[in-house]
Amino acid sequence: MLEVQNAKKYFGGVKAVDNVSIQVKKSSITGLIGANGAGKTTLFNMISGFIPLTAGTVIYEGEDITNQPAYKISTKGIVRTFQTPLGFPRMTVMENMLVFAKNRNAGIFTAIKTSKKVTPLEEEYIERARKILKDVGLGNKEDAWVSDLSAGELKILEFARPLMADPHIFLLDEPAAGINPANLNSLVTLIKDLRNKGYTFLIVDHNLKFIMNICDYIYVMADGKLIFEGLPDEVANADCVIESYIGKKKTEDTVSN
Amino acid sequence: MLTGTALFLSSILTLAAIYAVIALALNLEAGVDGLWDLGVVSFVAVGAYTYTMLTVSPASAGQSYIMGFGLPMWVGVLAAGIAGSIVAFLIGKPTLKLKNEYFLITTFAFAEVIRQILTNERWLSNGVAGVYNLAQPFKTYFTPSVYPYILLLLLVIIVFIVYVVVHRLTYSTFGRSLKALRENEPLALTAGIRPDRFHIRAFVIAGFFAGTAGAFYVWYSTVITPSLFTSDITFFVWMAIVIGGLANNKGAIVGSVIFVLAGESLRFLDLGSGFAVRMASMKIAILGLILIAILKWRPQGILPEKKVKFSNSSKNS
Repeated sequence: MLEVQNAKKYFGGVKAVDNVSIQVKKSSITGLIGANGAGKTTLFNMISGFIPLTAGTVIYEGEDITNQPAYKISTKGIVRTFQTPLGFPRMTVMENMLVFAKNRNAGIFTAIKTSKKVTPLEEEYIERARKILKDVGLGNKEDAWVSDLSAGELKILEFARPLMADPHIFLLDEPAAGINPANLNSLVTLIKDLRNKGYTFLIVDHNLKFIMNICDYIYVMADGKLIFEGLPDEVANADCVIESYIGKKKTEDTVSN
Repeated sequence: MLTGTALFLSSILTLAAIYAVIALALNLEAGVDGLWDLGVVSFVAVGAYTYTMLTVSPASAGQSYIMGFGLPMWVGVLAAGIAGSIVAFLIGKPTLKLKNEYFLITTFAFAEVIRQILTNERWLSNGVAGVYNLAQPFKTYFTPSVYPYILLLLLVIIVFIVYVVVHRLTYSTFGRSLKALRENEPLALTAGIRPDRFHIRAFVIAGFFAGTAGAFYVWYSTVITPSLFTSDITFFVWMAIVIGGLANNKGAIVGSVIFVLAGESLRFLDLGSGFAVRMASMKIAILGLILIAILKWRPQGILPEKKVKFSNSSKNS
């Protein structure tokens, strides 16, 4: 469904991402792990059009989307979240949802001519947004300022918003960061539910337990390079992964055992 | 005495109404869209000159300016709006790529450039001498003692129309997209919102209304000279929307009225001619104090940005 081929990103002499190829299959949950500075977020930014690739290609559903602008990529059904979810702070939860509705029909003259506060088309979107908010457990927050939401609620809203536009694939940048264990469980349930409905996920995270628990397939990056890929079990036992995460000494201990 | 006061009051309220039109325009681009535009006076100046040059009679001996077609006023007002939009488009195209502070500096610079052109290019605008005795709308139908109230009424109607248009835009899908860009541009990108396209639209619409405000300013002053269009207007209008409440359209109007009243009310104090000059400089000081007080105790302005609720409106369908 989504394929990155030989992606490279050099910032001057720094090879942030060096010849990385990954594949995300339809309706799968694919993980991307690695220590800080491994190049995970850079790879994300390249896929979602936020920064241009130095070299390589990004193919989505057979179409070459390399270096297309972010707003264009998102209309193709690829949505991404950010490490620190802020939402649109001085807008209500409902407004946040409506911004993501498809066919936003942002005509200026139509707007000037329309005396109704809510058009029939918007009416549909509002109903849809209410249903989504109810499903994710934010049903009673519709009129709240987003700046008043808790960190956990903000994370949930990150998922709820793009659902307005029927995305196909979610790129999640550290969804588990800064979330308490109770909320984490509901997040895992939410992601798995969405996967069962046919959505595809590519997740970057530090939390190994979370990634192991949720992913079907995992890529491991270190220093801009892909150092391992495989099923969660294989990743958990791979020496090079343990080394990159925990350090060499531990690896030697493991070997000597 | 009473009629004198009433006349004076109607005159400053007319000025407040003109500021309100510019404030509503600025509120759309700066309050809703979040563009730090310090050059809004450019549109007012270009609108005012376009209106004047199209509606006055040809330049007489000793004067020099272009056109002078003597067209009807409403044509002039429309042309002032269009000219404001065109200038907004021309300034916006290269500058909207810049981020906040840089955008602010560039728009400020453009406003100065336009004023300098109007000052120095005498063939274009009659330079510093300006043009005098300009006509006012419907003036022939009323006696001079009543006319100021008629002009005020006319401007109140205009403010209402501009308010309705800007209000509808603010709460439309278009306005919501502008707010999204203001709040979090990277996130708005992931919603498929194209920043350059939305920013330029907001800028051009603001240019249109600020351009028409230029024409209204000419109605009010009956005189046009480049010195009317210094960046003071930009700062005054910014102060008005900050006092009234950024991104609140009623606030833009309330802010303009408070701003003008507070500034001009000092003239009511009869302190003798010795104080006149001191009082004139007090005006700026008092406005500054009001601004500081607002920022300290009510940073959202007198009327803060409204929360958009859909809970009630959609139940009746």
